[in-house]
Amino acid sequence: MVWVIVLVAVLVVVGLLLIFAFNRLVRLRNETEAGWSNIDVQLKRRNDLIPNLVESVKGYAAHERGLFDEITQARAAVSGAGGPAQAAAASDQLSGAMGRLFAVAENYPQLRASENFQQLQAELTDTEDKIAAARRYYNSVVQTYNTAIQSFPALLYAGLLGFRQREFFAAEDDERVTPQVSTT
Amino acid sequence: MTLREQIRRNYLMTAVLLTFFGVLMAAVGAALYSIYGTGAAIAVLIGGVAWALFSWFMSTSVVSAVTGARPITKADNPELYRIVENLSIAAGLPATPEVRIVDDPAPNAFAAGRNAKNCYVCVTTGLLQTMDKRELEGVIGHELAHVQHRDVRLMTLVAVLVGVIAMISDIALRMMFFGGGRRRSGNAGDLIILAIGICGLILAPLAAVGIQLAISRKREYLADAGGAEISGDAEGLALALRKLMDDPREIRDTSRSTAHLYIEGPLHKASGPRALLGGMFDTHPPLEDRIARLEEMGGFKLPPETAAVAQ
Repeated sequence: MVWVIVLVAVLVVVGLLLIFAFNRLVRLRNETEAGWSNIDVQLKRRNDLIPNLVESVKGYAAHERGLFDEITQARAAVSGAGGPAQAAAASDQLSGAMGRLFAVAENYPQLRASENFQQLQAELTDTEDKIAAARRYYNSVVQTYNTAIQSFPALLYAGLLGFRQREFFAAEDDERVTPQVSTT
Repeated sequence: MTLREQIRRNYLMTAVLLTFFGVLMAAVGAALYSIYGTGAAIAVLIGGVAWALFSWFMSTSVVSAVTGARPITKADNPELYRIVENLSIAAGLPATPEVRIVDDPAPNAFAAGRNAKNCYVCVTTGLLQTMDKRELEGVIGHELAHVQHRDVRLMTLVAVLVGVIAMISDIALRMMFFGGGRRRSGNAGDLIILAIGICGLILAPLAAVGIQLAISRKREYLADAGGAEISGDAEGLALALRKLMDDPREIRDTSRSTAHLYIEGPLHKASGPRALLGGMFDTHPPLEDRIARLEEMGGFKLPPETAAVAQ
């Protein structure tokens, strides 16, 4: 009789632990998804700003066709990216190209003085900052999530229950791929 | 010590301190029992729980009335608003908290609110004047870390517990002085138990306040570490703390009840008898210590005379 009670108690405790562990994985996975949608929103916002900016520079520097093409391609690559890593690579390329676009714009005082252009530029800078912030959050959540599903005992059942590792929002050759915090 | 390790250790310490609270409650209960017997002990404990529930539900809306902060919109101060907006994204908060400003020349800041969806970050006009963008980001990051860690709620809970312990001990001691108390035969064993009980009742409120402040200090280290993670710039926060250290001004209109909310302990510059206690009754750890921990975590070293260089 005593042994039955002990057995039941052990089963109940193990069951509760499994429920808590499972719920934690679900919560972490939801956080990574929320983190990704943060990035996605800002990437879309930037993609919406870019055509207007390119148009306003085109009026002054139509000969920079190579740069305009690069921006158009990088922009399409961002919206068509298959996953966080690809999106990060495209996004970095786009940021670089936009930087060069602003460098070109520096040569045209009239363009720089235009209120419309200044406003677009300020908004783009703000969006770039927000992408950086969202990236920091997403990568730290992904790191926690990936660590959780690789740890014992979660690694025994995480795969079976459909918890897959998530990609960092970072280009393959990006040094920031390596998280600053060791996963022990 | 890495950031994650520091955060883990801080959580652990808070848990240990909260356990002490439970032990303290039990000790007060035992003291009551030893002096008055079962009936009175149960009556006082029920009263205590009722009082705790009452103050818990009353406390949620008091803070904003005390500090006199006014809300601003994005148009009023786009730079400040953007910083809060961006850092909220980096902190993964569900929404951007409301931004408020207090007219006060002393640089300081605090966060308040019941939960991450319903909260605000408040800075003084003095802070906006003294800090550059990087330092401001450090300070706001620290405040958002408080929001993220649910510190306002935790500290309210702790304050309620302190109040209950103080009240129970107070009632019990009064009952004794006015001749309540179960009379026992005067044998030595009973007298010793009575003496221990009285000592316990006198010391319990003091111990409760000590634990409250220790928790508050732990949460400050935790918010510094979390803030550095949010802003990704431990050095910016350290520079801001250095500036706060060099600034002699104190914020007006603060009381004990809101002290734990600020980035810099608003009462820490007081001198006199409190200074002799060596910081045991401070809500915040010394700024030097906080800067040292940030330096360790971020792997940098502030130059010894930043203040002079900055001017």
